[in-house]
Amino acid sequence: MSASANVEVKVGDCSNEDPQKLAAFEEHVANGGLIEPNDWMPEAYRSLMLRMAEHHANSEIVGALPEGEWIVKAPSLLRKLALTAKVQDEVGHGQMLYEVAQDLGKSRNAMLRDLITGVTKYHNCFNYPCPTWADICMIAWLIDGAAILNQGTLAHGSFGPYIRTMRRINMEEAFHFKHGEDMVLTLMSGTDSQKQMAQEAFDRWWEPSIAFFGPNDRPDELERPAMRWRMKTATNDDLRQKFVNRFAPAAMATGLVINVCTKDDQGNVTSATPDPLLKLDEETGHWGFTQPNWEEFFRVIRGNGPCNKDRLALRRFSYEQGEWVRKAILDGTTTPCKN
Amino acid sequence: MLSESRTNVPEAKGELQTQEVQKFPIWEVFTKKKESAVHLHAGSLSAPDSELAQCFAREHYGQDQPCVNMWVTRRDFLTADSGENESYELFVQWGAGLRYEHVGEVEACNGVEARDKCKELFCADKKHFTIWSCPNSGITKIDGSTNMIWRETTDQAYRLASGYSKVVRKKWEALRESKAVDDYQSEDLKDTY
Repeated sequence: MSASANVEVKVGDCSNEDPQKLAAFEEHVANGGLIEPNDWMPEAYRSLMLRMAEHHANSEIVGALPEGEWIVKAPSLLRKLALTAKVQDEVGHGQMLYEVAQDLGKSRNAMLRDLITGVTKYHNCFNYPCPTWADICMIAWLIDGAAILNQGTLAHGSFGPYIRTMRRINMEEAFHFKHGEDMVLTLMSGTDSQKQMAQEAFDRWWEPSIAFFGPNDRPDELERPAMRWRMKTATNDDLRQKFVNRFAPAAMATGLVINVCTKDDQGNVTSATPDPLLKLDEETGHWGFTQPNWEEFFRVIRGNGPCNKDRLALRRFSYEQGEWVRKAILDGTTTPCKN
Repeated sequence: MLSESRTNVPEAKGELQTQEVQKFPIWEVFTKKKESAVHLHAGSLSAPDSELAQCFAREHYGQDQPCVNMWVTRRDFLTADSGENESYELFVQWGAGLRYEHVGEVEACNGVEARDKCKELFCADKKHFTIWSCPNSGITKIDGSTNMIWRETTDQAYRLASGYSKVVRKKWEALRESKAVDDYQSEDLKDTY
């Protein structure tokens, strides 16, 4: 049976599996062994891995939409070249990840369509608006920075094709991140109005960045399939703490203030006050911080964020506009397959 | 502010009006990063025909990173047992999780014989995971003359992390102590810079 990411399988349910094969599989994975597509794997592993790769692919595709809008408005030729390259990279990452997911049993085309009709999700942080150039800078620094932290751990996972893709992707994210750092540092070494623009964008993106790693860990986090089967090698809360430890002092050094913000339905910041919990614990070396507003996070995930509708509408528009191209190709107006 | 064609996109809900396209064949891509390197498996792609497969392969695997030579072939060729009497390119995956690596070429009458010869000639006593063989007639080989893969003559440093590291370091040091920058940059992925 081919697994489908939209069918609600009970994650981790292996009651129908051959116990001997399952035991051998779990031991192999626990000892650091890797799985290739033609190896035996429990159906629950296949479907969870498929969902993970599909969600990741969707996020790469949708993430390119807000950034694509800014290519024509980039402030210099070099920035325009770099942003164009970044957008091309992101879409390429999506393509590569759809191929990984496809080998687990769902067609690429079905995934593209499920994304548009809202059957599957993409990363929540792309449901927020991107009104200034400074937002592009913050996305490249904070969101790509968070993605590198996360994907750095995913690259030590158990599924061969996914980790190979992750390594390749990280190499490119590293460029996006360095470019983002360069842009943020440029703004923060600039005029007062540039600094203000950066601060306002930072206020919009700090919370989505720390929410990037997903909801708080459950008490049984380490026992859950994604951790047990080494699809993930670090928990959400550990990664979040690592992110804050790295980015909070860096942001402050540039002159940015870490605020706790309230936002309206459009994603505009309505109030910003310095985070009262932001403090270095000398003993643990960890920075304290205010958790993201999880109520809002789940509301946006359910489709009620400031930009959910725009993003999907644009994706759908592009897909439907491209139909004649697909038709022309399939009607044989281009060179047929060799053999 | 937004480009015209992308503003006021009509909102639509429900099932798509467009037809679902049939599944495209899958193609595998091997890239060679510099003249002294061997071809390594870069990844796969879906494309309806050889010409488009080459275009996608250049876009996805040939331009984003340095690449001087690229081979594209259909996935089903790599594991096919049958075949003609001709030369076969051989690729070995030495262990689960690793990339297929081009090891050499043999004359054989079909895929099975090519892979058997590969075991004998290139694997000998070495442990290996899987072998792919591909008839030379089934591979499209693309080199720099097509001007579509990474162009070494044009400065593309802006699209590599290393292209920024010096200037970024300088900017950080204007704002922070060297040690604080070191601590912060210790998290940078070593193998990607």
